Amino acid sequence: MVDTAIALAQSSRSRGLFARRLAAHLFMLLFLAAWQAAALVAPSYLLPSPVQVAWRLWSFVTSWRDLGHLGASLYHVAAAIAISFVIGSLLALIPYYVPLLRFAIERRIGPFLNSFSAIGWTLLSIMWFGVSPLTVIFAISAVLVPFALVNMSAGLANLDAEILEMAESFTRQLWRVFALVIVPSLYPFIFATLRIMFGVAWKVTLTAELFGGNSGLGYMINLSRQEFDTATIFAAIILIIAFVHSMDHYILAPLQASVSRHYAY
Amino acid sequence: MLTERTSVTSVVADRVIGEGLVVLALLAWWMLARGLPEFILPGPVGVVRRLIELFMMPEFLWHAFTSAWRVLVSIAAALLIGGGLAFLSRSVPWLEAVVDERIKPVLNSFPSIGWAILAAIWFEPGDFGVIFVEVAILIPFCLINIAEGLRNIDRELMEMGQSFTRRRLRILWRLTLPLLVPYGLSATRIAYGIAWKIALVAELLGAPSGLGYLMLRAQTAADSTTFLATCFAIVLMFVAGERLVIVPLERRFAHR
Repeated sequence: MVDTAIALAQSSRSRGLFARRLAAHLFMLLFLAAWQAAALVAPSYLLPSPVQVAWRLWSFVTSWRDLGHLGASLYHVAAAIAISFVIGSLLALIPYYVPLLRFAIERRIGPFLNSFSAIGWTLLSIMWFGVSPLTVIFAISAVLVPFALVNMSAGLANLDAEILEMAESFTRQLWRVFALVIVPSLYPFIFATLRIMFGVAWKVTLTAELFGGNSGLGYMINLSRQEFDTATIFAAIILIIAFVHSMDHYILAPLQASVSRHYAY
Repeated sequence: MLTERTSVTSVVADRVIGEGLVVLALLAWWMLARGLPEFILPGPVGVVRRLIELFMMPEFLWHAFTSAWRVLVSIAAALLIGGGLAFLSRSVPWLEAVVDERIKPVLNSFPSIGWAILAAIWFEPGDFGVIFVEVAILIPFCLINIAEGLRNIDRELMEMGQSFTRRRLRILWRLTLPLLVPYGLSATRIAYGIAWKIALVAELLGAPSGLGYLMLRAQTAADSTTFLATCFAIVLMFVAGERLVIVPLERRFAHR
């Protein structure tokens, strides 16, 4: 009796799941149909049809020059994440080891970095470094540092005091405590930080490349904007959405989940 | 007694070091700016003077006001639309996958400049285009936070509510919305930060007014002093809005 009830419940849930999947796919089809219909009315420089965009996407994936721009964007994002993660973590670690500087970093440097606008950094770095990859990387890093600082500070504030005490009773070498206890307990925060930074980085990267880059998808979008090649803009946007979403969903999220399972308590 | 005194002195020392660092940074800026031409790095004195001048200029105040009301309208609209989507996915079961697996990921990974360019192609330069872009950028942040709030609503409280009344509107008004307030506030806070820092990009491409437009104009004219002053004006307005509106709101609703 009980078994059948459970089985029934399960089957109805899976039917619900199926219906939801169906609804999601139907929504996609409806969306594409609406897009196609709108594209029939509007001129193609305003709204290219899905077929045009699909063709452009295909030629994008098969063209080395276009893929090179994608690679350049990836390089900018990766370099900026690495740089700003190191700087942000160092800034977060300073008040932990030198409590005297806590006010300076948490109430002065942090809020300043946090409220300076991304566009400000971008245009400023163009004035300083000209149009180059350095400009792009500097602008993204400047935007990302506060995210790293805030998250890593939260991680350090959440350290288990008892475990630290235990560690100090075993050794007096600060370095050993840092490498063997503090860093492993920070793993969940490190991954959460990297995931947030990855999401924000992509939002800012294209802006920086559009105004101050000579390579990358943002630069490419800017060129196609001037040529009224809207299909390329759409293709680049779709490519970015697909890349960012799959990276986050299939790589970063599982990684973060497994790390949290191992180290969180 | 002793610990209290040391803690007071250490607080004072913290503050002194903190403010000292600011002074040091200003000094370093001044030293650096002395050796560089003005269009690369203007000195702090010039920038502060320009900042004061800007705040006395009606034209600048009008641009700042334009940006501010666009930001506020966008946040309100994004909260409404994002909250509406979150409610839809929660209350209409077959829409859950549509919102969670289609709309949310796409909006969440849509590059902000993408919206700005599309708006520049689609709309006339003006308020509507800018607000469209800002709303599009802010929706995912509101959606994620309010959906999280809906997920964390206490089932037992809802059950209790249903045992008192059957009117859904009453439950929504008396239970669901008050329980959502903290999440709505954190959504507002995040949206506010993103709006000033990232969404201003909307004003670079499709607006004849606003602080973003002023910044771009100053930058293309290589007028670094005005440019930096505008940046600092944004910092000031951002901090003022946070201290005067968002922090009091949070304090007001935190106790409930």
